[in-house]
Amino acid sequence: MKVLVVEDEPKVAGALKEGLEAEGYDVTLAHTGEEGFFHVSTHAFDLIILDIMLPGRDGIEVLRALRQQGLKLPVLLLTAKDAVEDRVLGLDAGADDYLVKPFAFAELSARIRALLRRNKVDSENVIKVGDLEIDLVRRSVTRDCRRVELTAREFELLEYLVQNRGRVVTREMLARDVWKETARATPLDNVIDVHIARLRKKIDDPSDQKLLHTIRGVGFMLHEEQS
Amino acid sequence: MNPRTRRSLRFRLTTVYASLLAVALLLYAGCVSVFFLHSLREQLDLSLDRDVEAVESMLTSSPTGQIKPDSEEGEAHEGKFRQGFLLEAWSSVGSLLYRSEALEGQPLGSAPVVAAGLSPEPPRSFRLPSGLRVRALSRVHHLSNGDPVLVRLAVSEESLWQEFWEMSTALGIMLPLILFGVVITGYLVAAKALKPVDSMAKRAAEITAEQLHERLKIDNPDDELGQLGVAFNTTLARLENSFDQLRRFTADASHELRTPLTAIWSVGEVSLHKPGDQKYYRDIIGSMLEETSRLTKLVDSLLTMSRADAGRVQPHLTETRLFDLATESANLLEVLAEEKQQTLRVEGDETVTAMADRTILRQALINLIDNAVKYSPARGEIRVRVTNNEGFPYIEVQDSGPGIPPEHRERIFERFYRVDKARTRAEGGSGLGLSIAQWAVSINKGSIEVQCEPGPGSVFRIRLPKASAATSATIH
Repeated sequence: MKVLVVEDEPKVAGALKEGLEAEGYDVTLAHTGEEGFFHVSTHAFDLIILDIMLPGRDGIEVLRALRQQGLKLPVLLLTAKDAVEDRVLGLDAGADDYLVKPFAFAELSARIRALLRRNKVDSENVIKVGDLEIDLVRRSVTRDCRRVELTAREFELLEYLVQNRGRVVTREMLARDVWKETARATPLDNVIDVHIARLRKKIDDPSDQKLLHTIRGVGFMLHEEQS
Repeated sequence: MNPRTRRSLRFRLTTVYASLLAVALLLYAGCVSVFFLHSLREQLDLSLDRDVEAVESMLTSSPTGQIKPDSEEGEAHEGKFRQGFLLEAWSSVGSLLYRSEALEGQPLGSAPVVAAGLSPEPPRSFRLPSGLRVRALSRVHHLSNGDPVLVRLAVSEESLWQEFWEMSTALGIMLPLILFGVVITGYLVAAKALKPVDSMAKRAAEITAEQLHERLKIDNPDDELGQLGVAFNTTLARLENSFDQLRRFTADASHELRTPLTAIWSVGEVSLHKPGDQKYYRDIIGSMLEETSRLTKLVDSLLTMSRADAGRVQPHLTETRLFDLATESANLLEVLAEEKQQTLRVEGDETVTAMADRTILRQALINLIDNAVKYSPARGEIRVRVTNNEGFPYIEVQDSGPGIPPEHRERIFERFYRVDKARTRAEGGSGLGLSIAQWAVSINKGSIEVQCEPGPGSVFRIRLPKASAATSATIH
């Protein structure tokens, strides 16, 4: 998968390149809109990550021009503005998604995956992580063949973690995707932490092998530890 | 005179008044003169009339058909004749019968038209060829033999005109003097009346952002200028207040931002000086990320507030069932209460609705309930009550915490204001929750207040505007 990152801030650009390459993407960096334009016209990409605040032509202008030329690639906008009108402006210009700075890399990575598989249906109905088994259709969970009773919210939380298994999930992602809370200023962190603690108690406490991990300062991850 | 003076209110006022006054005085002078001339002539006509009668009685006809003033009777009038009685007599056939010597052959008008018989002519003023102004009167006189004669008597008008010119000159000198005096006085009075404006303008120009505590001096708060000054001072007071708030906010915000920054800095710096294993460094980075996330939260809240301040948030008002909204908010936070074994209850009237922006009002409720859970002790009780009082929808959030000391109640809605500074920060509060709640309520045209009844606990009461009587189709 080839990704073009158009970002002028060197530290952010470097971190994005490193992080995305670690996830197996082939990353090309561009520091200005013009440079990005050049890359798009000479190479084939699967996805573009475009910063709005660029020197010279800003991201919105670049995006508009690209769309006018008939570019169909998914484009993810990065911006420091999160007012609704800015968001609308970005989406109107032809962006497929929108991420407000500062953001967790985990979230960017999740959005990229979502954009790239947009047309593919996840057909798995039963997902296994270690000896944890989740049936998404019957909404039932078993751990080591023992049935685990979850509340509706706990199930949604687990479902999200399972679908992102092996990857970090931030509190912001949970607030938005599980709690459907759009305002970033809503104080949900404590609520999320309590739910995570309860879920952990139900699925991890009976077993020696822990599956739900806290990544300090970032979020949570469901994975089977290879030890 | 420079254009600035010409544009000044004082100059324009005086000019307008002066012009009006000048026009009025001119009209007055004109009327007086005309009236004066008219009455002088009337007097002259009266005396002419009497003179004509006297002259008539003196007229005798000579055998030659000529007539002349009777010398006998004329004795008494001789002086008058010499002084200037100008007399003409015309016969009914249009021939001149007599003309005073004083006329020196000049006619007092043309020969009368005799076709329809002699008739008196109206009194008239004219100039003799010699340049003398005269007033003439005529009358038809019947001689002793019964022949009609047209008698024309004229008298000099020179003294009348002289009187008239004297008066006109007096007016011509006096009126401009009066006008000049009034204009100067008016200009000075206007200057005095407008002086407060000058001083206000000067003072207002001196007041900058650094001296907003200064006020305009107001001599008389009841006149128009005083009212202007009062209005200006009120504006200044409001400005000063906003500036103070802004200054405090900036200072507080910088302080709040500095705290997590200091933590990141020192944690990172200290760890660099200390050798450690991978687990140690992971821990350090995790700790730094925690602080970063706190910073992010704070910046998000600040942005929410600044957008609110800029008035860029437009509420979408819909008819909202408050009980449902309260239940939803309480359910979201219920786990937090459960963790502290608190009871969180929503009670009251399930039918109360209000026109409100659901999302924004929900934010206020979430912040209030979050606070209530934080400050109520373990096993405490939190009630969310929805009521309707005289048409006004109310939502109350009552906690069982320590209450808010009276000295803090006024200020708890201020940004970053904390009753117990150390404690709230430890609980993860940003100090903006209540400010955001207050903004969220006020943008819904409601008000929020805090009440602390004697005993533990405080009540935050949201009052919303009356819902319209019409039932809306959009009930959420």
